[in-house]
Amino acid sequence: MSGERERVLEVEDLQVRFATDTGEVPAVCDISLHVHTSETLALVGESGSGKSTVALAAMGLLPGNARASGRVTVDGTQVVGAGEAELARLRGRTASMVFQEPATALDPLTRVGAQIAEVIRNHRPLGRAEAAREAIELLRRVGIPEPEQRARAFPFQLSGGQRQRVVIAMAIANSPGLLIADEPTTALDVTVQAEILDLLRGLAADSGTGVLLVTHNMGVVADFADRVAVMLNGEIVETGPVEEVLLRPRHEYTRKLLAAVPRLVFQGEDPAPRQDAPVVELRDVRVRFGRGPRAVRALDGVSLDVRPGETVGLVGESGSGKSTAARVALGLIPPDSGTVSLFGTDLARSRGRRRRALLSGVGVVLQDPVASLDARMSVAECVAEPLRMHRRGMSAAERRARVAEVLELVRLPKELMARGPRELSGGQRQRVSLARALVLEPRLLVADEPTSALDVSVQRTVLEVIAELQRELGFGCLFVSHDLAVVQQFAHRVVVMRAGCVEEQGPTMSTLLRPRSEYTRRLIAAVPVPDPVVQRRRRAGVTV
Amino acid sequence: MTAVLQTAPVEAVPNYRVSLRKFTRNKLAVAGLAVVLLFLLFCFVGPLLHSTDQTHTDLGQVNLAPGGAHWLGTDAVGHDELGRLMYGGKVSLLVGLAAGILATVIGTLWGAAAGYAGGWVDAVMMRVVDAGIAIPALFILLVVSAITTPDTAGLILVLGLVSWLVPSRLVRAETLTLKSRDYVLTLRATGGTHTRAITRHILPNSVSTIVVAATFQVADAILLVAYVSYLGLGVQPPKTDWGGMLSAGLTAAYSGRWWLIVPPGLAIILVVCAFNAIGDGLRDAFDVRGRG
Amino acid sequence: METLAYLARRTAQALVVILIVTVVVFCLLHALPGGPARGILGPQATAQQIAAFDHDQGLDRPLPVQYVYYLRTLLHGDLGTSYTLNEAVSQLVGQRLPKTLVLTVLSAVVGLLLAVPLGMWQAVRRNKPADYVITTLSFVAYSTPVYFLGLILVLVFTQELNWFPSQAPQGDTPAQVFADPVALVLPVVTGAASMVAVFSRYMRAATLENLSEDYVRTARAGGSRQGAILFRHVFRNSLTPVIAMLGYYVPVLFGGALVVEQLFNYPGMGLLFWSAAQSSDYPVLLGCVLVISVATVVGTLLADVVQRIVDPRVKAGRA
Repeated sequence: MSGERERVLEVEDLQVRFATDTGEVPAVCDISLHVHTSETLALVGESGSGKSTVALAAMGLLPGNARASGRVTVDGTQVVGAGEAELARLRGRTASMVFQEPATALDPLTRVGAQIAEVIRNHRPLGRAEAAREAIELLRRVGIPEPEQRARAFPFQLSGGQRQRVVIAMAIANSPGLLIADEPTTALDVTVQAEILDLLRGLAADSGTGVLLVTHNMGVVADFADRVAVMLNGEIVETGPVEEVLLRPRHEYTRKLLAAVPRLVFQGEDPAPRQDAPVVELRDVRVRFGRGPRAVRALDGVSLDVRPGETVGLVGESGSGKSTAARVALGLIPPDSGTVSLFGTDLARSRGRRRRALLSGVGVVLQDPVASLDARMSVAECVAEPLRMHRRGMSAAERRARVAEVLELVRLPKELMARGPRELSGGQRQRVSLARALVLEPRLLVADEPTSALDVSVQRTVLEVIAELQRELGFGCLFVSHDLAVVQQFAHRVVVMRAGCVEEQGPTMSTLLRPRSEYTRRLIAAVPVPDPVVQRRRRAGVTV
Repeated sequence: MTAVLQTAPVEAVPNYRVSLRKFTRNKLAVAGLAVVLLFLLFCFVGPLLHSTDQTHTDLGQVNLAPGGAHWLGTDAVGHDELGRLMYGGKVSLLVGLAAGILATVIGTLWGAAAGYAGGWVDAVMMRVVDAGIAIPALFILLVVSAITTPDTAGLILVLGLVSWLVPSRLVRAETLTLKSRDYVLTLRATGGTHTRAITRHILPNSVSTIVVAATFQVADAILLVAYVSYLGLGVQPPKTDWGGMLSAGLTAAYSGRWWLIVPPGLAIILVVCAFNAIGDGLRDAFDVRGRG
Repeated sequence: METLAYLARRTAQALVVILIVTVVVFCLLHALPGGPARGILGPQATAQQIAAFDHDQGLDRPLPVQYVYYLRTLLHGDLGTSYTLNEAVSQLVGQRLPKTLVLTVLSAVVGLLLAVPLGMWQAVRRNKPADYVITTLSFVAYSTPVYFLGLILVLVFTQELNWFPSQAPQGDTPAQVFADPVALVLPVVTGAASMVAVFSRYMRAATLENLSEDYVRTARAGGSRQGAILFRHVFRNSLTPVIAMLGYYVPVLFGGALVVEQLFNYPGMGLLFWSAAQSSDYPVLLGCVLVISVATVVGTLLADVVQRIVDPRVKAGRA
């Protein structure tokens, strides 16, 4: 099946090293791969595996401190060591690239039509008007409605998904033989992700373009790729057809990686409902941001509760208000109307010392592992802070003992106590946040996307630690996430939010397996599962 | 599983060491530091090695060109110019440092209060800053000079009071960012007090911004001191500062007595450059925002 | 519609600022000893003469009353009468302000025209010898007191080379000022020097920041060349923050004009202010500070509006 077809990208013994303050750091070590016309090769791996570096090297876009050696040929042209003028002729015509972050990938001050036209005119001797007409045509091809008007829009006037479509339009403007997509859907909501993947698949199939897809998401791989190469620490550890690698992985790392991926399951029982009084309860909460005609209704009549010992998953796409709801529950955002009661007490009516005592029963873990900890404090100080706040009488020795105890609970070695957060990995930092949240034995844990910045293997450990401690300590947990598979695995009940309202809520399994609302159904259908056979059937519209 | 968990640390070196290394690698900044230290030695230790009479006039020795016993010549009333440069430098550096630090302290308190309070308190406090910025400092100084001639302490106070506005803006912006950081939100959501948020998190994390602002502020203050005599607000003879020497020598320069203006002029430029270079280096080393 | 609402809000803010300025200036002038009467009538004046003068000028009434009275006259465009020149302050200011504006605007334009390309060029050649040389020169230009720089320029270009006169044009109207462009060179260069220093630094920083933005990588991935990326994308994106900084720089420009006018004997507001300070002519001092502050507030407002026009995101209130 190979041999005959043309190789649009050929990488041989590629090595990339980065010069840093502490010396040269190898990022890619002697990797070889190739992409044929009309096929998609997925390059997968966790953060730091070097997969994005390979993509940038193929475009000759490595940053200034990178040293590359080896052979990378795009349509017969050697890229490593080529001059800027030669690369400029290649980029946008022979090979194109789609990037991860549509929010920043476009020049904010130039109209999107002009940005597409610029790519056209870089390579073809067209007049302004002609290029502008072609840009509109391209916008139509990538599925942007009213392309004539949209071409005159600035990037900020488009949604994230539309911006990514514009970037794709730029990439296909000169019908390149090779399309490199670096995490093209990672920054997008799951329903938008499904649309963008459909678009890319369709475009590649129409024109016989070879695609190098860089991603960490096994569901996306199953949905899109023909072949897979798995990267670990700058090396390719396994290559093969997508069914082989995803269903019958040979390398131990691939197996471990796949095992850690949270998967939607399609059968299961609801756990027994809890009857105890809720630890936190939102009743008909409304929140608006801003004033006057520009005011945004962030929450519109939201009611939910969390009972001791249960985890309530709060899911929704960006802008659905799920994080706002969590912040209302924490007392960080006062509701415009409606009530929040924490452990049976109205939060709005308690002030000063009483309010602080009430809040001492809450633990918090937020999304960003970097911003969650004060970088100036040691791990021990971070974890001890709630004790200093609420257990004034505690001696230094008792405090130390308690901190050590909690660190052990979250499975962090004692040696880390004196370290600063900067010296820890993302997963370790999130576990420090968790230790800080648990040090006072809270009755409620609020976790806002606690693992979405982490690699899947690390995510799994953090989630397991939370679940285990919940069984042990019996706290209620409000768990905000965009990841339905994680919520399905982890939550007892689920609340689906959309545009500031609760779309539906109920026991996890019955809600996710037999959704009552059309929106929830679409949300679930859009999640790609990391099984190419199942995923192909789901895409074809067969209900599983 | 554990193998995956023990992923490499994101950054193995403590932060201040990275900052120090970045700073020492900035040649301009290191040169600036050297220049400031040299001038401090020159002004405060120099007079011990080269002692001159800077209080009594010596009419037998006026307007001598550089050479002989007077390396930099003498001025119109017979003071040795080299000695005067040390003598005036003491005042310039002391007033500049004190006024710059005073301005930073006032600005920090005002900016932090406005930023943390937010809402209408912030709006009112910032309109006051806008108003202060709208009145050019030199105009205020000239008005003050029409009213009174302050002593050194008064001068420091006046200069501090006209230049706290820029640091207050910077610190306010920093406070606004820090108070919405996740660790401050977490603290507040779990029952931490405002006092704790400010004293344990916001102020300590603003230190680098404040230090950088203070460095630029001292540079500006030394420059402002140089204007003060020109505007008629300076220290009174026989005391002097570099700006005083410069304005006193202005007319002499037209008749070719360059040694009366070039040394104080160069001294001002060198020291102000040096503080600016240090500020630049510190800003890049700490990786904080500050002026460009 | 949105633009109108924005303008209304911004203008209201500016009015509040101006009100605070009047309070500050009023307090500054009236709370301090060595009263205006003594300044005008001289040390020989008798107590009766001073009392009569104070009564004449309304200086014997309580301060809040004086302030309210002052505000009311201000609203009528009346800035009082000069003690020494015996002319309405508004008239004096009206004559002098256009000339000061000519000088400052000219300095600002020359300064920006030099600073913007210089800063971009430095960013492109960052950490190369040329960048270090220009950085050092901007530090020097920023650190030189304006009057010292002016003096050096006069010594070199008037005394030694005799290229430019040391006196600025003396005409009464802006047209007369422009009739003698050679005489404008030294004042404008002196006024523009620190501006070049400051804004080339801003432009360098802004360009460097933009060069590392994702959209530059996207443009390169589309086959655009370095030059095209710089001029089509990076230039405009770097200019917007620089325009915003321009607003903050207006007071510094006026401060510079104060010294430049005195140095080159240019009969603008700065020189008027200067002589008023020498003769304790309080109405003129008060009037000038007020007018300069209003001009500053208006300048800042203009910079904001220009930024809004240049950057569509600001218009939508998202940036």
